[in-house]
Amino acid sequence: MNFPLRRTSAQSLASAVFRLREIGILFALGAAVAFFAIRAPNFLSTGNWQGIAQNVAIVIVVGVGETLVVLTRNIDLSVGSIVGLTAYLSAATFAHHTGASVALVALIAIAIGFGLGLVNGLLVAVARVPAIIATLATLAIYRGVDVQITGGGNITAYQLPDRFLKLASTKPVGVPTLAWIAAGVAIVGAAAVRWAPWSRDFYAIGSNPEAARFAGIPVGRRVITAFAISGALAGLGGFLFASRFPTVDAVAAKGFELDVITAVVIGGVNVFGGSGTMLGVVLGALLVATIQDGFTLLRISEFWRLFFNGFAIVVAVTIDALVTRRLQEALRRRRAEALAARHLEAGT
Amino acid sequence: MTAARAIALRLLARWETLLVVAIVGAGIWSTTLSPFFLKRANLLDLVTPYIFIGLMAFGLTFVVVAGEIDISIVSNMAVSVVCFAQVFDAGVNVWLAALIGLVVATVLGLVNGALVSVLDLPSLAITLGTMAAYAGLAYVILSGEGVASFPSGYTKIGGGYIAGNELPIALPVILAVAVVLGIVLHATRFGRYVFTIGSNREAARFSGIPVMRVRMAVFAASGLMAGLAGVVYVGYFGSARADAGTGSLLDVVTAVVLGGVDIFGGAGSMLGVFLALVLVAELRNGMQLANIQGDTQDIVIGGLLLAAIVAGNLVRRAQTGRFRVRPLRLGRKEVIAHDAADALMPSKLAPQNLKGR
Repeated sequence: MNFPLRRTSAQSLASAVFRLREIGILFALGAAVAFFAIRAPNFLSTGNWQGIAQNVAIVIVVGVGETLVVLTRNIDLSVGSIVGLTAYLSAATFAHHTGASVALVALIAIAIGFGLGLVNGLLVAVARVPAIIATLATLAIYRGVDVQITGGGNITAYQLPDRFLKLASTKPVGVPTLAWIAAGVAIVGAAAVRWAPWSRDFYAIGSNPEAARFAGIPVGRRVITAFAISGALAGLGGFLFASRFPTVDAVAAKGFELDVITAVVIGGVNVFGGSGTMLGVVLGALLVATIQDGFTLLRISEFWRLFFNGFAIVVAVTIDALVTRRLQEALRRRRAEALAARHLEAGT
Repeated sequence: MTAARAIALRLLARWETLLVVAIVGAGIWSTTLSPFFLKRANLLDLVTPYIFIGLMAFGLTFVVVAGEIDISIVSNMAVSVVCFAQVFDAGVNVWLAALIGLVVATVLGLVNGALVSVLDLPSLAITLGTMAAYAGLAYVILSGEGVASFPSGYTKIGGGYIAGNELPIALPVILAVAVVLGIVLHATRFGRYVFTIGSNREAARFSGIPVMRVRMAVFAASGLMAGLAGVVYVGYFGSARADAGTGSLLDVVTAVVLGGVDIFGGAGSMLGVFLALVLVAELRNGMQLANIQGDTQDIVIGGLLLAAIVAGNLVRRAQTGRFRVRPLRLGRKEVIAHDAADALMPSKLAPQNLKGR
């Protein structure tokens, strides 16, 4: 049975709620900017905004990949260690081969990240290890490998070629190169989840894995793809991380996964899977970065940052769950009404 | 039913036998590394540095058996440690301060429990959030400074020995705790409730089990054990820092999962968790003897965690002929159950119910 009219209104209700989510973050962002602009005198300076853009860029790059994973109702905790490992490997490659091409090293970092992500995906989809446990284990394992490779040493900015460091320091049209790269990744990611048929599957899997399986979607393969892309983007993130923070050691990017997950969850990607937009993730990352920057300017202890990250996750998850429940309630009522109307028309 | 239970029990027994075999194997490996391994003092002292991890693993066992997860448990311990230290530093009696640490940890566990059970939110996401929040809180409370001036009367108990200066006090303590919690989990009505909720929450609700209260209690228990771990931690290390226990989440989760607790809930035993704790302690001890660094040890422990789950999956597959198809537990059950109820009760949708509108 089809009720085109009713379906459209149900769909528009759903999309209205999700638009509301993005507007909500925009409001919060506006409020945060206004607050810090008043309290911290140099908050509105160009330099400060460029700093925020640089900080947010790597979170966005990694966040786009994490979003795909969360859409499939999984989670990837290992991105912090993948970023750390690929950051060190990128820096080490430049230190040992000063003439190496920047693009080539970036590709190597992405490939390594892809491989590590693939391992996560196989563990989750083939070996059936719950994502939280699988990536908690690989978070430790990848960091252990990182420590093994660095052997307690580190790479400093002096060992790295200027071409590589320029990636973080140049600002074409006043916007840092890192931010341009992040924008590119976010746009490609947004286009992919909007239009690519294979990435629409991510939403289907996250909404209802069983139904997706029955609908003939290759669930396992898609979950592996999501993890592999998340790993690859974490690899790219690690490459950028090394150019932004060129002194790389074995603890680089420790805890970075929490920044990423906070941005993704605040950005409205539902931890129940199946809903979320890249625009939301970008806004979420911006909100987190803005508030952290404001905290720094106001000389609030950086430990409050950690607390804030966690608190924000809890609040976002709570709001999401309550809104989702309301929405489902409303949709169910509409369906029931539509059915009732149909019955009345038919005179039964 | 009884036959199925007999098979399940036998499998469980086999899992624990496997753990014992692994413990013996790791012991032989350790002996080849150092002849001192088999000395009675070393054997008795093996688990002492891992007591706080064991206490948290026991607490987490209740949560996982109930079909949930609490990854905030280590951060919770850190908060309890710094609260203990701050209160003690303010001149309060050390035992009273320890008690306050326990209370704080239980309250933080209750916060998790309330969010998960009353609001019915996914424990994975909630405790991921509170993991960060509590870790931040610990730093905020103790702002980077450590407290190390605990009276020796207190630290002597945590790191002390009895019976001819050989038996660490910690060993009988953890054994006693394991036995008590084992009884609570396996031989009380509360324990049965926890298992039932873990196997099928809806069925548990329909059988009149106070699901919300039990789930809340499970998280409170996890918090209480984190607090106890904090008290023991201070006693053993004699100092309190905001980063207390950082990095031990892997060990805690490994002990629980390697102990044979079903990560999807509904099965597990306290004995298994205790044996897994001994195995983890033994392996870490052996790797120390082999001069392997802490972070490199994590590769082995992480691999062990993965292997434990894969092995469990294979056992289950051998039992039922297929994998369980539940990629991640995120509390969707309710929604599905609602839809099912709608489908079963068409009267709700019948026109007469909606005529008045």
